[in-house]
Amino acid sequence: MNNEELKAYIESNYASLMTFCESGKYDLWFEVKADNLVRVCQKLKDDPELLIDYFCNLGGVDTTENFEAVYNLASSKKKIRIDLKVVLPHENPSVDSVQTIWPAANWYEREMWELYGIQVNNHDNLTRFLLPDDWDQGYPMRKDWDAPDFIRFPDL
Amino acid sequence: MGIIKKLPVYSEKIPGGAIVTTSVEQVLNFAQAKSLWYLLFGTACCAIELMCTGASRYDFDRLGMIFRASPRQADLIIAAGTITKKMAPRLRTLYDQMAEPRYVIAMGGCTIKGGPFYYDSYSVEKGIEHIIPVDVFIPGCPPRPESLLEGCLTLQKQIQQRKLGDWQEK
Repeated sequence: MNNEELKAYIESNYASLMTFCESGKYDLWFEVKADNLVRVCQKLKDDPELLIDYFCNLGGVDTTENFEAVYNLASSKKKIRIDLKVVLPHENPSVDSVQTIWPAANWYEREMWELYGIQVNNHDNLTRFLLPDDWDQGYPMRKDWDAPDFIRFPDL
Repeated sequence: MGIIKKLPVYSEKIPGGAIVTTSVEQVLNFAQAKSLWYLLFGTACCAIELMCTGASRYDFDRLGMIFRASPRQADLIIAAGTITKKMAPRLRTLYDQMAEPRYVIAMGGCTIKGGPFYYDSYSVEKGIEHIIPVDVFIPGCPPRPESLLEGCLTLQKQIQQRKLGDWQEK
C-alpha cells in the first residue's frame, strides 16, 4: 500500500476520527482529537489492512500557542508508516496513555511528561528518569522555560 | 625533555653502595609526582583523546600515569567530558572516595565552563569547579594528547613544588 492508497483508505474508513493534516516528505500526517486517541490507536492496530504494530517514536512540540504530541507509527507486516498528531491546549495539557496498545510507549510518555509537562493519563509509572530526582525547575523543553545558570551567547 | 630535575641529595660512596641524604619532602613529592594513577572517568568525547594518550603513540605510562578502575587506588581524576547535573553527585562521591593527597584535572571545555555546545543546556553542569576543587584546567574541544601531557606535567610540577603537609589543609 503506497501513500496515496493509504490516504484514500484512511479517508474513507476513518473520516470521523482522523483528519489529513499535511504530507511530509515521507509519511502521511493525520490529526487526531485527544479524546479519540486511544480508540484510534486500537483501531489502527486491529485493522487487518493496516496492522500498525510498531510504535517508533513519540515527540512533543511546543508551538507557544499549544502543545502537540506526535506519534510515529509503523506496520512491520504491511510496510507502512503513519504519523498522528494530537493538538493540546497550552494550559493543563493532558493526553491518554497508549501503553496498553504498544508497551513501548511507556518510556516515551514518561519522557514527554518530564520534559514538556504534558500530563499522561492512565500511565502506570509516571516518574522521572532523565532529569535529576530532585528537579523542581519546571519543564526544560518548553519554549518559555529559562534556566538561572544559562550562559548567554553575546549579541554580535 | 628536561622535566626530571635532579633531586637535591647528598650522596657518599661507601664500599658496596652509597649513602644518600635528602629530605622527606623531596622524596615524597618526587614519588607522588611520578606515580599519578588516574581514575578512569571519561564521560564524553574527551575520553577518546584520553584513551589515545594512554595508547602506544603518546604512551602515558612513561610519566607514571597508570589508569585505575577504582577511586580507592587513584590519586587523580581526569574529568574527561561533559558532566551533567545528574552525574555531578556521582563525581563528588568518587572524589570523596579517593585517598588523599588527591588531584583533579578538568579536561576540555565542558568541564571548565559548560563547553562550547552546552552553555545553554538545562542538563549540563556549568563547570566542575563548584563540585570538586580543580588543580589544572586543560582547554580544548577536545584537547589534543599533547595538551593533556602538558597538563599532567604542569600538575607534576605543582606537586614537586609543594611543601610537606600542604595537602592536609585542603
